[in-house]
Amino acid sequence: MLLIRGKLWEDGRMEEAMADLETHLTHALSGPPLDPMLVVDACDRLARAIEAGEYAAALEEFLSVHEVPREMVDQAIGLFRRESLLYKLHMELGEGALEPLCADGHVWQRRRFPLGVLFHIAAGNVDGLPAYSVVEGLLAGNINLLKLPSADAGLSVRLLHALTQVEPALADYIYVFDLPSTDLDGMTRLANLSDGVVVWGGDEAVRAARRLAHPGTKIISWGHKLSFAYATADATMDDLRALARHICQTGQVLCTSCQGLYVDSDRFPVVKRMAEELFAALQEAARELPPVDPGLRGQATLRLYNEQLEAAHTGRQVLRGGGVSVLLCPDRELELSFLHGNCWVKGLPRDRLIETLRGKKEYLQTAGLLCAPADRPVLTELLCRAGIVRVTEPGLMSRTVAGEAHDGTFPLREYTRIAEGLW
Amino acid sequence: MDARARVFNHHDPYDLKGTEDAFVAAMRENALFQQAGCADYARILREQDFDPASIQSMRDLERLPFLPTLYFKRHKLFAMDEKKLLIQATSSGTGGVKSHIGFDNLGMYYGGRMVLTMARRHRLFSPKPCNYLIFGYERTKENQTAISKTAYGATFFAPALHRTYALRWRNGQYELDLDGMKQALLRYSRSPFPVRFMGFPAYTYFFLSSLREEGIRPRLPVGSKVMFGGGWKQFYTQKVEKETVYRLVEEVLGVPESGCVEFFGAVEHPILYCDCARHHFHVPVYSRVIIRNVDTLKPVPYGTPGLVNLLTPMTKSMPILSVMTDDIGILHPPGSCGCGISSPWLEILGRVGVKDIVTCAAGAEEFLKG
Repeated sequence: MLLIRGKLWEDGRMEEAMADLETHLTHALSGPPLDPMLVVDACDRLARAIEAGEYAAALEEFLSVHEVPREMVDQAIGLFRRESLLYKLHMELGEGALEPLCADGHVWQRRRFPLGVLFHIAAGNVDGLPAYSVVEGLLAGNINLLKLPSADAGLSVRLLHALTQVEPALADYIYVFDLPSTDLDGMTRLANLSDGVVVWGGDEAVRAARRLAHPGTKIISWGHKLSFAYATADATMDDLRALARHICQTGQVLCTSCQGLYVDSDRFPVVKRMAEELFAALQEAARELPPVDPGLRGQATLRLYNEQLEAAHTGRQVLRGGGVSVLLCPDRELELSFLHGNCWVKGLPRDRLIETLRGKKEYLQTAGLLCAPADRPVLTELLCRAGIVRVTEPGLMSRTVAGEAHDGTFPLREYTRIAEGLW
Repeated sequence: MDARARVFNHHDPYDLKGTEDAFVAAMRENALFQQAGCADYARILREQDFDPASIQSMRDLERLPFLPTLYFKRHKLFAMDEKKLLIQATSSGTGGVKSHIGFDNLGMYYGGRMVLTMARRHRLFSPKPCNYLIFGYERTKENQTAISKTAYGATFFAPALHRTYALRWRNGQYELDLDGMKQALLRYSRSPFPVRFMGFPAYTYFFLSSLREEGIRPRLPVGSKVMFGGGWKQFYTQKVEKETVYRLVEEVLGVPESGCVEFFGAVEHPILYCDCARHHFHVPVYSRVIIRNVDTLKPVPYGTPGLVNLLTPMTKSMPILSVMTDDIGILHPPGSCGCGISSPWLEILGRVGVKDIVTCAAGAEEFLKG
């Protein structure tokens, strides 16, 4: 489905939608800038309407298709509330940074401007995230062209359509297209109409976006990230349980999901004991959740069987049962897990942390910390120096809180530019 | 005599009962050969405490250690001198990693016998020359994937007048040339000779859909066939039913459903499966299928979805005698198809790692119980 100036269009009308797009964009850009308060009001009204049950049927349908815990949905709706968005605006675009520029008796005022037109190339791993990406673009005052991921179930386009219904003034600032990323011609045309390309996805997606756009076009990439947990030998069983719940609940498919556990030790028995404790905690957590889809379980089963065949070469051990597993590894490599309740455990003494993560810096994101409170500051400092941008309690690795930085930066600042002039 | 001979020279390709002893003997011989020739395979047998000499029945084959396709992507396993192998094929490589598979001379000979028997049984041979439209890669020295070999191989069932490829090799890369295919189709449809389509179902489907949209409906000469190979995996998210494709073939090309033929096989399991009149893949004598539980890898009964484990004694060059694919499928019991072929039939539901492939299938209920 396409969303063109507040109207939903059927699939396959891409050409028609593109025909006079540039004229409409130029027209909107010629008018006064978009007032962020209009966006805040519209999002808040929509969030309240959803909370009041106005979209209950659509929401129930969505929840029945996707195994998303209700609390995550509530959390996501909360991000659209007025207080969340105002806090976000204040945190990211706070006027403090914009004091006038003074030199040699001259004074130039500073103001923030939107980049203009943002082209969002969305990824499919979090439902509704494409819509949030557009809302961020709107808050910064931009016109937004959104290319939906091929796996999108339609939630984003429905949310954005509802937003234009609540506030018709936003209609000229939101365009949703359904072209496949293999349609290079269409993608290039959209990129050429844009002042910034916001790309969500892996290295390949980011590389492709760079090829699409003019060399001068700003590329804002939210690439795939890896997150892990870090435990000292005295980590508590409570912390391991919280980590296990996080692992099973997120299915390990989020950038912030824990892929594996590093133990602050190079003594194998210590690492092994931790692996066994985490395995027990994972089994416990999995029992309380609905079983993982058989197609996904089958994939993990094959990979683990393959690990067992390779064990003679790799020295890795598999602990497995109850729909979860732990791969106990003698190496220190940061890697993706087999997902859906299957994670690795490796020894990594703190004095080897920086050198081990050195080559992976651009992929690092969240670290869950399992240690005594007294150890937290020093380990947080070390992890952040290694490249981690969020250190959290083990159960809160995938927290979603308004105003938090994203991959080490504030998105709204990325979507704007600072102008100095004679106001 | 090589124990494979009795399996691969058998006249009826679906006589599983009549070939069972020969199949078991050939598997035993193959397993012993691999154990002696491939150190890594011998190590795996040892670790799983399996003695190939103990293979005496089909039940014993359930215990025979199987290798997942992933293992072939990461390790080169040869039981013969790699340089002496006749053909080397690489799988199309999901995620860019390819497995290297080589075939021994005698294995290729038996493969040829199999193709002859299957093609005869399914009436694929025709003395009448045909024009071929191939929805696959033009054969080059660079492209060694099994799909291009199968597509090319299938053009020998009837003498080829001309072959046109959808993916042409130009200036060092493949280019999709649908317009060239369209022109060739129109040209061929005016010729008195039958046309044979060959290639991925998805490409054929999209090509025919675009012809329909443009209102192009060439009537192909009598005896024309539409052959599919390479799986329906591009369709997993689209959920296009096979019946939809057959209807489209009839509507656009005038080829009846009986003129549609589908093949199934894998580089790691180079056995030619050919669909029956009801478009089901019956297990031929050269192959056996064990469906395994997605968690425990234990064999499951007929009708229950699980991981698809394929067995064949065809090749001696490598330990591909029992291969675990990345597919989830169901083995339906003998007689449940109704086409007259007595062997069980294999239904592929989808690839592991994809959600909901099982829940939308008929056997979902049993899966949940299991």
